[in-house]
Amino acid sequence: MDLKLDHHTKDGIEIVDVEGEIDVYTAPRLRELLIELVNSRFYQLVVNMEKVEFLDSTGLGVLVGGLKRVRAHDGSLDLVCTQERILKIFRITGLTKVFGIHDTVDEAIAARKSEK
Amino acid sequence: MVAEDASRASHASGGRPDTAMSDRMHVLLIEDDDGDALIVEELLLDAGAPFNMRRARSLAEARPQLGNVSCVLLDLELPDSRGLTGVRMLQDAMPELAVVVLTGISDEHLGEEAVGAGAQDYLVKGQVDGFLLQRVVRYAVERSRAEETQRQLAQARLLAAENSRLERGLLPSPLLADPRLTVAARYRPGGGQMLLGGDFYDLVQAADGWVHVMIGDVCGRGPDEAALGVCLRVAWRTLVLAGRPVQEVLSGVQQVLEHERQNERLFATLCMLSIAPDRAEGRLHLAGHPPPILLTSDSMRELAAPVSLPPGIGPGSEWPGSTVRLGDSWSLLLYTDGLIEGRVGPGPERLGSDGLMKMIEKARVQAPAAAVPDRPENERLIDSIIDQARELNGEDLDDDLAMLLIGYHGPAGGAGP
Repeated sequence: MDLKLDHHTKDGIEIVDVEGEIDVYTAPRLRELLIELVNSRFYQLVVNMEKVEFLDSTGLGVLVGGLKRVRAHDGSLDLVCTQERILKIFRITGLTKVFGIHDTVDEAIAARKSEK
Repeated sequence: MVAEDASRASHASGGRPDTAMSDRMHVLLIEDDDGDALIVEELLLDAGAPFNMRRARSLAEARPQLGNVSCVLLDLELPDSRGLTGVRMLQDAMPELAVVVLTGISDEHLGEEAVGAGAQDYLVKGQVDGFLLQRVVRYAVERSRAEETQRQLAQARLLAAENSRLERGLLPSPLLADPRLTVAARYRPGGGQMLLGGDFYDLVQAADGWVHVMIGDVCGRGPDEAALGVCLRVAWRTLVLAGRPVQEVLSGVQQVLEHERQNERLFATLCMLSIAPDRAEGRLHLAGHPPPILLTSDSMRELAAPVSLPPGIGPGSEWPGSTVRLGDSWSLLLYTDGLIEGRVGPGPERLGSDGLMKMIEKARVQAPAAAVPDRPENERLIDSIIDQARELNGEDLDDDLAMLLIGYHGPAGGAGP
């Protein structure tokens, strides 16, 4: 029932490291962090979900909300995830079409750079 | 009676003392005039009143201490407040606090106005003895407590009424004429709370014999989500009753969501299944929602269809669907993700749809043994699924969940067990 959040800048992109469970109780903290980053003018975000153990629909809502916020500033929100059980959630909800999902943080950064 | 210095008293432990149980009531006198304050203290001392009294010289000084007192004796002429402003400030800061106003003889009319503004009572300085003062304070506290209890009760009743109204809106009676079909439905708010989520479902048999079933989930939980869920369900039912094609129904639901949502970030997942008049096949549309599970006498599987984005996320004007084969005799389980997000042990593992299917398998094996003659098979199965999910989770599931189990007992029209 715990969520750890951390973030750092890499190659001009803000990497958000998420660890633990993103559920109805913890998702508000992730939302606050994403809002805070956007308010601090970080519009290129990569959310690293490699250590996320659980993600529910409230958590998905927070990620979608974050995406809408950065897009309002022509920004981007990519995800790093290789865990099958998390990927399955994105497949069921069709959100694989909305988020760029990558195997590593470097890959996410490279994909973002090549798009520019 | 103990008169404490205000600054010292503010170090006292936080939290409101339970004055109903303890004999000593905590009273805060807000009075800038030392002489008047002394008189009040003496009066209470004479009466042997079991009060702990503190004193503040202004509203500003009183404010941080309000959490610890049962009753405030308020002078209406203070350095930082005149007349009724003090009463209103105390009402705003702490509506449940008992306030008794002290007035002079010349402004006794203010006392009555203070009661109108929310004070429990008023006393005229110089016309009070210790016993009257003590009694007024006690009654004021008791009345205030009774009013608070009443207020909480009324609020709880309102909340319950609001929830049941929303629940009725979210979970309608199916419109079904075909006697060969049975419907069992369940809804459980999450976390053992009264708070509703945005899960919804509906079932409508159209004039042409098709039966349209829908289940959906507004992301998040709370009254906004629940209200939006009601909107979406009614929009869906209206479009289906109007005989609109599925593409229009889903686009219409999406438009209603975009117009009615309180918050731009809300979206909803939706699963819609249209069952053909022969009941042997259907058309399935998945918009970000888990697929239904098809149960037949010898198999169980998730139905498959292309997945489109949940309404509210993308521009989404196309809703690809898939024809699904159902067979001669079947049951279909439609559910929201609250059902499969429950824990299955101490770790982060969750039930998931695989776990759900294992559970159904188990429930179907056990069902005959637990047979209750007057309840249809599907009613037992759906309860057994919820019970197992809750048991595995170790407590009530966190998210709300909705389930719809539709049974078809074959072209012969067998009524089932």
